[in-house]
Amino acid sequence: MRHVSFIARTVFVQNNDVEAACRVLNRILGREGILEQYRRTRYYEKPFQVRRRVNYERCKALYDEDMNRKIEFVLRKNRVDPFPGCS
Amino acid sequence: MMIKQLFTTFRNGSSISEAVCCNLQVRFLHKSAPSMRDVVDRKEMLRSLPKPDEGTTGEKAEEMDLLMKDKLLLFPTKDTPNQLFNGIRFKDLPIFNIRSSPNNTIITLTNSKGIPELIRSCGVEGFKNARKGTNIAAQATAITIGTKAFNKGIKTVRVRVKGIGPGRMSSIKGLQMSGLQIVSITDNTPVSWNPPRPRKQRRL
Repeated sequence: MRHVSFIARTVFVQNNDVEAACRVLNRILGREGILEQYRRTRYYEKPFQVRRRVNYERCKALYDEDMNRKIEFVLRKNRVDPFPGCS
Repeated sequence: MMIKQLFTTFRNGSSISEAVCCNLQVRFLHKSAPSMRDVVDRKEMLRSLPKPDEGTTGEKAEEMDLLMKDKLLLFPTKDTPNQLFNGIRFKDLPIFNIRSSPNNTIITLTNSKGIPELIRSCGVEGFKNARKGTNIAAQATAITIGTKAFNKGIKTVRVRVKGIGPGRMSSIKGLQMSGLQIVSITDNTPVSWNPPRPRKQRRL
């Protein structure tokens, strides 16, 4: 995780809007799983907890994938005007 | 109301039949000790409490993704170190290092080489014990050190934050309130994917 300082994980402040910059930074860290990993490694995670977490994550990923596919299928649009009467 | 009424009946030493006479629902009332407790489940209680402020607002905000897409100016490029801000190159700007933990916030001003010039923490500021770990303490500390830096002639700075805690965002806000122009915010939280074994979990 060693990167060039002030290039990696850096966000510029625009129009003196510090909060927005903070939120962007937090969002990036959250999405990359950096904050999650930081929180998890504050305390030792016992092997049974690791197993449970990993299994849960696996199941969730499978469910999410299937559900997204389902939603895509229901919302598929193969028409000239995809939403008739809506424009 | 009804339960109160019943308690008074008990306390007065009158028989339960009287209470039953006045209200039939009394039969379903259990007198055992566990059911009389306010807190049924500790986990449930913890869940109902508001989450502690960690300074990570927007961590799960999905709309930020859309905002980020068309804002390429937000992120540094390879020319950034030589970019001018108020006549100073980015790599020569002084740095404010913020170390925020759940219990304290420490703010250090260093020059661009990393030599410390000013240091201030919530404890030094006069907040003690649990009050050190609040966003208000962090903001007050940031305003103090920011004003000191401003009086030294430092106007434009970059900020580097480390760790999560209540002071993470509020101290940056405090620095801005003291009149400094913040150019960039960098996260410097130490995260490892194969760390040495951490301490054992807290028992709550």
